[in-house]
Amino acid sequence: MQKATVVVIGGGATGVGILRDLCMRGVDAILIEQQDLAYGTSSRYHGLLHSGGRYAVKDAEAGKECIEENTILRKIGRHCVEQTEGFFARTHLDDEDFEGKWVEACAKVGIPTIPISVEEARRLEPNLSAKIKSVYRVPDAAIDGFRMVWQNVASARKYGGRVMTYTTVVGIEHSNNQVVGMKVRNTLTGEISNIACDFIVSAAGSWAGEIAALAGITVNVQPDRGTLIAFNHRIASRIINRLRPASDGDIFVPHGSITILGTTSASVNKPDDTIPNAKEVVELLNIGEALFEDLRSYRMLRAFAGTRPLYSADPNAKGRGASRGFVTLDHAHDGLKGFVSVVGGKFTTYRLMAEKVTDLVCNYLNVKTPCRTALEDLVDDASPALMAKARLYFPAYGAELAASRLGSEGLEKVIDRMQAKPEKRQLLCECENVTMAEVEEAAADSTSFMISDVRRKTRMGMGTCQGAFCTFRSVGAVDANGLSWGKDTNVLFKEFLQGRWKGIRPILWGNVMREMELTRGIYEGTLNINGAIDDEGK
Amino acid sequence: MMRENDIIVIGGGLAGLTAAAVAAKRGKKVMVLSLGAGTLTIGGGIVDVIGYLEGNKPVATPSAGLLQLPAEHPYKKIGRPAIEDAIKFFKEICEEEGYPYMGNLDTMQWVPTAAGTIKPTCLIPKTMNTEELQKANKVIVLGFESLKDFYPQLITKNFKKISRFKDKEYETVMIDPNLAEGRDVTALDVARWLDTEEGISECITKMRKVIQPGSVVIIPPVLGTRPNYRIADRLEQALQCHFIETASVPPSITGLRLRTMMVSYLKKIGVRIVEQATVAKSIVEADKCVAVVTEGIDRERTYYAKSFILANGGFYGGGLLAEPGKVIEPIFNLPVEAPEDHEMWANYSLFSNEAQPFAKLGLEVDEKMRPLDADGKVILNNVFVAGRNLRGYDYSFEKSGNGVAIASGYQAAMSV
Repeated sequence: MQKATVVVIGGGATGVGILRDLCMRGVDAILIEQQDLAYGTSSRYHGLLHSGGRYAVKDAEAGKECIEENTILRKIGRHCVEQTEGFFARTHLDDEDFEGKWVEACAKVGIPTIPISVEEARRLEPNLSAKIKSVYRVPDAAIDGFRMVWQNVASARKYGGRVMTYTTVVGIEHSNNQVVGMKVRNTLTGEISNIACDFIVSAAGSWAGEIAALAGITVNVQPDRGTLIAFNHRIASRIINRLRPASDGDIFVPHGSITILGTTSASVNKPDDTIPNAKEVVELLNIGEALFEDLRSYRMLRAFAGTRPLYSADPNAKGRGASRGFVTLDHAHDGLKGFVSVVGGKFTTYRLMAEKVTDLVCNYLNVKTPCRTALEDLVDDASPALMAKARLYFPAYGAELAASRLGSEGLEKVIDRMQAKPEKRQLLCECENVTMAEVEEAAADSTSFMISDVRRKTRMGMGTCQGAFCTFRSVGAVDANGLSWGKDTNVLFKEFLQGRWKGIRPILWGNVMREMELTRGIYEGTLNINGAIDDEGK
Repeated sequence: MMRENDIIVIGGGLAGLTAAAVAAKRGKKVMVLSLGAGTLTIGGGIVDVIGYLEGNKPVATPSAGLLQLPAEHPYKKIGRPAIEDAIKFFKEICEEEGYPYMGNLDTMQWVPTAAGTIKPTCLIPKTMNTEELQKANKVIVLGFESLKDFYPQLITKNFKKISRFKDKEYETVMIDPNLAEGRDVTALDVARWLDTEEGISECITKMRKVIQPGSVVIIPPVLGTRPNYRIADRLEQALQCHFIETASVPPSITGLRLRTMMVSYLKKIGVRIVEQATVAKSIVEADKCVAVVTEGIDRERTYYAKSFILANGGFYGGGLLAEPGKVIEPIFNLPVEAPEDHEMWANYSLFSNEAQPFAKLGLEVDEKMRPLDADGKVILNNVFVAGRNLRGYDYSFEKSGNGVAIASGYQAAMSV
């Protein structure tokens, strides 16, 4: 039986943030995640590191938290953050009166807003609509959700943190109103086991209500679904927010060579209701055209959807009416000691949420070590010597990219693989510049069980061709290394391509349709990974 | 002034090239307007006719499959006799060009793929013949160092799960082609290496060290880029082994050979091929097309002909354009019926026992391959449609791509 002082439920930003914080303070902790790390909400959003401008008017507290955390994450998570800055742009369709209110609200909570002329804004961002009325600069940034989660785990592991993926909670065990452990199920094998612990922290986001229910406790989390579009272009180099009260399709976020537009908002019954549809995509395009008139001429990569965990003490509050702030619920008040849920909040404030929860847990455990998560970098920078070495092995642009992705320690391991076998230097995924060695390293991690898990760690398969070429290579490569995790390789092919298909299906027109004919031609037409192979033909 | 053609074929894939060959053999003056290499260099080395029916049911032979297709399927319009003639015609071209294909409608050929699966097909180059493989007790799968598109163990491991191949002994071996260290290597690089005298000699030397005479050897499709069996014969003689190429991911060397062969044949019989020709629009008078207009970086060009064969490859080739809830045929503005609700276009599963609805979208035609309107009336009397633009079939699901291309290209050219 596994043992830990604390078990953290949920491998999103909040969960890994708590794991890191606990471990840095010397608390023995395990994190369990029902799927893969960052599988849920932490990878299903626009990747905006908020300045707080979006919330300042309606939720001053959230705005203030954002600008403070934004400043911290730029520093400790600089390999996950691209400091793009952001614009708030009011279009001809938006209320002029709101502008004044917004400037005032930002000033109140310490978010700098610098007005610039429309001409200057369009000089900096030439694709912006000519109909823009006014523009302000704010310290927004782009943040890679996958990488942020993964680097938190890397940091936690240095302090002894353990992670179990594809593990779901099936029971919370208690004795005399005190948590003593939990029953978990391995979702891949179905195997049930126990983890003994003194404390459980639920950071399950949209699933927090379901977890609390296992202990007979009610937590009102309303999953609110948001659909987003990823474009295969950097439409703007800055984050572009629409200057109006928060609504659908308001935010464009550049990430490397792509741009994400989001989001819609709709209450849903299930936290895993994440299949986007064509109607939502068309709606987003219609709205987005107010900021970028030629939006429809940009090629889309995929659409995706996630659920926000909106918390409300009042179960009737929904959608954008519910607070984006977060709450720590100590279930001792519900009669069960050693069980805490953290609900609500947003990616930008994950570290702060983790700090608050960890303070509470440490108080119970009588641990006096203060929080240091705001002071220490998530991963170490690669030394100049290591970078010089990396440049010998990686393709030109790939060395910096890989160093940023992997951190110093990971980079060293990948270079070792390349030294041992020069052919591992080849790009397995040309779209995202991912080498064979990196894929092998990610595949060998104890949290990898499928090609999609490798994708989330490396970005392979996330570029223009959406897996048309690298699916075959990644299956071949992991299988060649004896890492197919006991699965039939056809299962690996199908699982990965189905994951890509989920985001392609709602945008199946134009060049995307073309790409799909190619992908199906390869995997279905040529490789027949789908066809029933009854070779007698009966 | 452009010379007057009898027939202009729009599209340089297998459907267009076949149509051009048939028309030219019938004494017509033919021109092909081709945008690029078509899908031939992506996966086109083998001719699938029909492998699966709805429900993912495998058919015993292509012949048996043809009988079971629904009325909307292009094969049903073309009819069995024309399909047979088309295949005969294609095989004659292959013979004449010195690159004969094997197979017929009454035999299903199961060829090995690079994923370690097998796929049902109809016509294959002889380097994909599996007779020796079925007889062999021991099979060697040979890979090339640095070739990131071929993984020998994927084949050996999965072949052990296929009933007809499971009771054999498998061994994987690697050869180093010594192509620039660290550089990305494709099957095309290896095939070009074997095209050279130094390359093939070096390869033979290296193979001798790892394979015994009398072996059956599965390899990626690298046996030369030219449409002949010179490289295969040379290796087989030198090593006294039998080599079998797999169906593989792009770039498809077998497809490249097929295209090179077709183009060579067309040139011999006087067909003019215009490359990089993007046909933008047509000039139509009453129920006839008079000319098509290409656009280039320099200027527009008008090409006149008595008849036109539209074979520009459906959604992939640009013959059909998809928009939300709508499909456009851009050259003649021919009607395409498609569900307005875009959600109806595709299944939630990418690979399942169902064909994809979007893959079946396309142009409705009559028996002569002439485009029809919603009332079933012929729209343009001298325009014929072939290949992927046709509605009613999902080539990748049912494994019928090149078969429909050849049969419909043949039928279109015979109808002119």
